[in-house]
Amino acid sequence: MAPIPLYDVSSAESSQAMAASPDPAAPCTSSWPAPKEYDGSDGNPDAPYNPPGARNTDSCLALKPTGEVVHDYTTKGPAPGDLAFRWIHGSVCAAKNTDPRIQVVAYNEDTYVLRENPCVNWEAPFTYLLFGNHGALLIDSGATPEADYYPLRVTVDEIVARWCGIRRKKSVPLTVVLTSGEDVAQNQGIGQFGDRALTRLTPLELGARMEFHGLGSAWKDGLGRIDLGGRLVEVIPTPGTHKDGLSFYDTYTCLLFTGDLLYAGRVQIANDRDYVASLERLQQWKQDHPLKWVLGGHVEMMFVPGRAYPRFSTNRPFEHVLQLEPEAIDEAVEHGRAVVGKPAVVFRTDFILLNRVSPDEKVYQSAPDLPRVPVPYWRSLQ
Amino acid sequence: MDLNSLNRRTFLSLPVVSVVLPAVAAAMASPEAEAMGRFPTPAVGSVPIDFKANVPAPGRFPDRWICGSSSCMDNHDPPIQVNWYNEHTVFMRQNKAYSFEAPFMHLYFGNERILLIDQGYTQLETDWPLRDVVDSCIAEWCAKHGRKVEDMELLASFTHLHDDHYVGINQFYNRPNTRYMGQTHEEMIGFWGMTNYPEERVTLDLGGRDILIWGSPGHVFSEFAYYDTYTQILHTGDMFYRGRCYISFWDKWFASMKRLMAFLEDHPVTHVVGCHVEISRTGQDYPYGITYQPDEAPMHMPVEVLKHAYEVAKTITKPGIYFTGSVFLCNETRDLTTVDRIAYEYD
Repeated sequence: MAPIPLYDVSSAESSQAMAASPDPAAPCTSSWPAPKEYDGSDGNPDAPYNPPGARNTDSCLALKPTGEVVHDYTTKGPAPGDLAFRWIHGSVCAAKNTDPRIQVVAYNEDTYVLRENPCVNWEAPFTYLLFGNHGALLIDSGATPEADYYPLRVTVDEIVARWCGIRRKKSVPLTVVLTSGEDVAQNQGIGQFGDRALTRLTPLELGARMEFHGLGSAWKDGLGRIDLGGRLVEVIPTPGTHKDGLSFYDTYTCLLFTGDLLYAGRVQIANDRDYVASLERLQQWKQDHPLKWVLGGHVEMMFVPGRAYPRFSTNRPFEHVLQLEPEAIDEAVEHGRAVVGKPAVVFRTDFILLNRVSPDEKVYQSAPDLPRVPVPYWRSLQ
Repeated sequence: MDLNSLNRRTFLSLPVVSVVLPAVAAAMASPEAEAMGRFPTPAVGSVPIDFKANVPAPGRFPDRWICGSSSCMDNHDPPIQVNWYNEHTVFMRQNKAYSFEAPFMHLYFGNERILLIDQGYTQLETDWPLRDVVDSCIAEWCAKHGRKVEDMELLASFTHLHDDHYVGINQFYNRPNTRYMGQTHEEMIGFWGMTNYPEERVTLDLGGRDILIWGSPGHVFSEFAYYDTYTQILHTGDMFYRGRCYISFWDKWFASMKRLMAFLEDHPVTHVVGCHVEISRTGQDYPYGITYQPDEAPMHMPVEVLKHAYEVAKTITKPGIYFTGSVFLCNETRDLTTVDRIAYEYD
């Protein structure tokens, strides 16, 4: 097999030239994303940070600040933030795992990403907590109901308490929503919030859930909106992997939370027509709105192209990162269209589409057009 | 004694007979010990266990094997479940929260040697203490039956060339008086001295206890079947077990089934046992990789299950997953490991 080339960061042109080269000995670079040109939206000295009238929490200068902080959520392009940490990924012996039950990563001061430990539940779902001036939003609730095993409520309460502290608020109302009401990998933790004060929980049943988001019977074409106080989260109906699928777009960070619809893993299409329609809608959304990353509900891919861990894995040392580039939507649309109406497994670099097959179909395989990268101590490609 | 006439067997028995006998004789003669109702330590080497009389030796499987938990990191079961089937036979199982494969491992004790079949799916002692558990079983047996641990040779073999059956082997790297199988086909058949695999059936003498071993390919090319003449338990490994029998080579597998049927004609079998359980009592498939099987079927099977599967197999002509009512026969389905469908499909 051909060696995998090192990525050449010095020149975008040279890597494109290599991809277009007719030389058969040229290394394959076509499946790697081209580097994005820096758009200067962060770190711009001319940007109007800390405008008069808004006390921005980026500053810790004041020794004894007074009064509640009101954050200005208006940004040009995505708000600054990053996922600069490695996710917990299970262990050789799940029973001896000593990682936190929930890993908390601050994307920025108002955005938190939580991951369930794969040794509590193999689905290892991601949960997102967003704050605005008047409200907090929890997107999804994990795969484990028992608070002893998966203390989601306690963790959220602790994050909320600290956040309220730095914003000098007494409390902030919480809304809990789901990317799918029927998905047992995402709806199990919601019961932990049943008796929580200042909390609104989404119903699980499809009709009631759409009503909760202000969407009527024609919900598939509708659009909902959650106002957190200066920070708007748009609710986009995206059935396809679940009949009641919703995606959430955060106007502040320009992140799109897609749940099971699109993530770095084995995407199980539940209805291919709906799936393509939903992705086309997101494609249009991407053209009309700035989009930094797609953040799904799970990670199952390895960091080699086209290969994924099988279901139930509790040890995934070679995981793909959580975030997908916006171009993944275009790729999913293209390949989703091609499988409508037929059983298929489509291997792409960053995700795999499964349509009308077993969830374990071709589980240890990949596609011949992808680079064959051996994974240490893992089954070789058949 | 003429040293040239020593073979392995006589050599191994030498220190047992010559050193320990007087002490035992003294203990047995002690009137105080008898009066107090305490059984003296049995004769070391002086009373060989008779593995040929009163067969099949009865034994017991646990009512339920430990079968995982909903949250793996909250599993507090032992890393290895040890089941003394009878006083000379141990069946062990790896905890599903340590490895989803939860393979079974066997220990057969003879007068002079001990056979360990399979070593589980976790490599390091610090993660999973197979060596400790095996050593303590051997120590317990030796204490009970008046043997010295260092006199008993341990043979560690495996059923077939898949890593969930031999990964723990290197925990034995420094164990004295221990031989183990290598991880190639050539070393496997060499270990049993076979020259005509898979047809040849060899007899392993553990010291009065015979284990019959022959080739049983089909799941993989390199696999053995084991038959213990003392308990009359037939061990079919991953070639036939209560779950999904992944048949990689149908012709070889079917030939192995025929070989088993011929074996059954002149050998009584009490139980057929395999390396995994992947099915519920109600016939529900537990998909590959799952770590919790709350309503698991028993590991051991009556011989009729094997015979019936053979009848079903005779009718199979195409690749696919076939359910016999007791086991799944996955005929050349490659890595299609389940009968599951996508859970949330809708129209």
